[in-house]
Amino acid sequence: MTPLLQLQDLTAGYGAGPDILNTINLTIESGRSYCIIGPNGAGKSTLLKVVCGILKPRAGEVLFRGNPVGGLRPDQLLGTGICYVPQERTVFPAMNVRENLIMGAYSVRNRATVQERMARVLEMFPILEERTNQLAGTLSGGEQQMVTLGRALMVNPVLLMIDEPSLGLAPQVADQIFATIGDLGRLDITVLLVEQNAHKGLQCADWGIVLDLGTTRFEGPADGLLQDPRIRDLYLGTRRGEVKEADR
Amino acid sequence: MTDFMQVLILGLLLGGVYALMASGLTLLFGVMRVVNLAHAAFMILAAYIAFFAFELLGVDPLLSILIAMPIMFVLGIVIYALLFRRIEGTPRYVEMTVLLTFGLALVVEGMLTFFFTGIFRSTGPSYARQSFFFGEFFVPKGQLLALGVSIALLSALWAFLTFTKPGTAVRATMQNRTAAEIVGVNVRRISAMSFGIGMALAGAAGSLLSFLFPFFPSRHWQWVAILLSLIVLGGMGSLKGAVIGALILAVASALMTHRFGPSWSPITFYVALFLVLMVRPQGLFGKVVRI
Repeated sequence: MTPLLQLQDLTAGYGAGPDILNTINLTIESGRSYCIIGPNGAGKSTLLKVVCGILKPRAGEVLFRGNPVGGLRPDQLLGTGICYVPQERTVFPAMNVRENLIMGAYSVRNRATVQERMARVLEMFPILEERTNQLAGTLSGGEQQMVTLGRALMVNPVLLMIDEPSLGLAPQVADQIFATIGDLGRLDITVLLVEQNAHKGLQCADWGIVLDLGTTRFEGPADGLLQDPRIRDLYLGTRRGEVKEADR
Repeated sequence: MTDFMQVLILGLLLGGVYALMASGLTLLFGVMRVVNLAHAAFMILAAYIAFFAFELLGVDPLLSILIAMPIMFVLGIVIYALLFRRIEGTPRYVEMTVLLTFGLALVVEGMLTFFFTGIFRSTGPSYARQSFFFGEFFVPKGQLLALGVSIALLSALWAFLTFTKPGTAVRATMQNRTAAEIVGVNVRRISAMSFGIGMALAGAAGSLLSFLFPFFPSRHWQWVAILLSLIVLGGMGSLKGAVIGALILAVASALMTHRFGPSWSPITFYVALFLVLMVRPQGLFGKVVRI
């Protein structure tokens, strides 16, 4: 069976800068959830940006269900079911929660479908249901993160890429977000999560990928990576002396 | 008190037109983060279209809005595609847009001077010289008509932004460009369209300008300075801000004229500009943006 997403010798970077991703190869199968971990600057976010079309690859191929999609614009990729939730909170601040969710379905033409999906999203995030008429810019960080997640679900994504959802959130709020992400598998959504908080990220994923210096270092079942002493030492920061090493 | 009311009326009449002039400028800044220094030059270009349509074909300047708007809309899209697309994504985008629009203003001014010389022009439809008394207040008919047109166009712009899908996409792009891109808005198409709409609004404003104020090619520098002060006061990128900034400063400048004479009127805008930048740089309705 053709894998959902394949990166073949993919190289990418920003402007005239150096290559951030360096001939990376990666295969994402549908029906699994993935978490990419790795130190700052490893290229985790860059990888998501290339796949969703915000950043053009310099070389190599992005195959989605076997079709080359590298270099397509985000609005062209949305139709294929690739959806991205960026690291920075990207709500539309002067629109209310309902309008934000409707904007999520910008590419969907059928109104009934939009209403149906909105009902489903509000069911998943009961707090948003109470705040449908509140301006998104006035919500708390966690609620804004729920809006961006909910907004992404409005397109019924096949592959949902989420960049550091826990960034800047209080631990309980982050746990709530992770729990929701863990549930997405039941909606037949393949999740590709990037997370600085490697423990939490791996706990809600089936498969872990370690990215370092623009290429994959290890990959394997998420439980396995959590137990693997080499990964623990270098990337999970469980040994005190090594934490700084990994953060560098 | 009667004096004050009279000045207020004259100020508000002009304020509505200023708001129309500033709306295109603030829309473009909101969507593309472009401070279009050539906005007023394109207004003057449209004033020439209205002038020659009136002189040669006898077309009323209010009707020539219908000619100027589509011409300027198309011109805007062409300019966006030929010039602005090239600098998108360059590291010094904001600085480049300032240079580019400054250069555009010079080119438009130069061409207008070359073809139409630098002499004062003004279209002279009959209503431009008529006025009437409303109670005890003096009302110039031309300014009242211009205000009516401005209100109609600004309402149409508001309705477009609020109730249509492309308008919603424009607002989304203004609020968060990345997010708009992610939900599938073709931000380039929206930028091109906004550029066209901004130019069409400059076109309409130019037609009104042609019978309200005498003009010549280099006159646009004075106008662009006034318009910038309006949108800085209102908050750059905010349409509501542009309207309120325009009304406040038009009344303020009318009061200055009444109190100290017409030569003091322009300085109102510059003083306001400096005060706003010192006290509240984001303006009344603007938000703090990082560029």
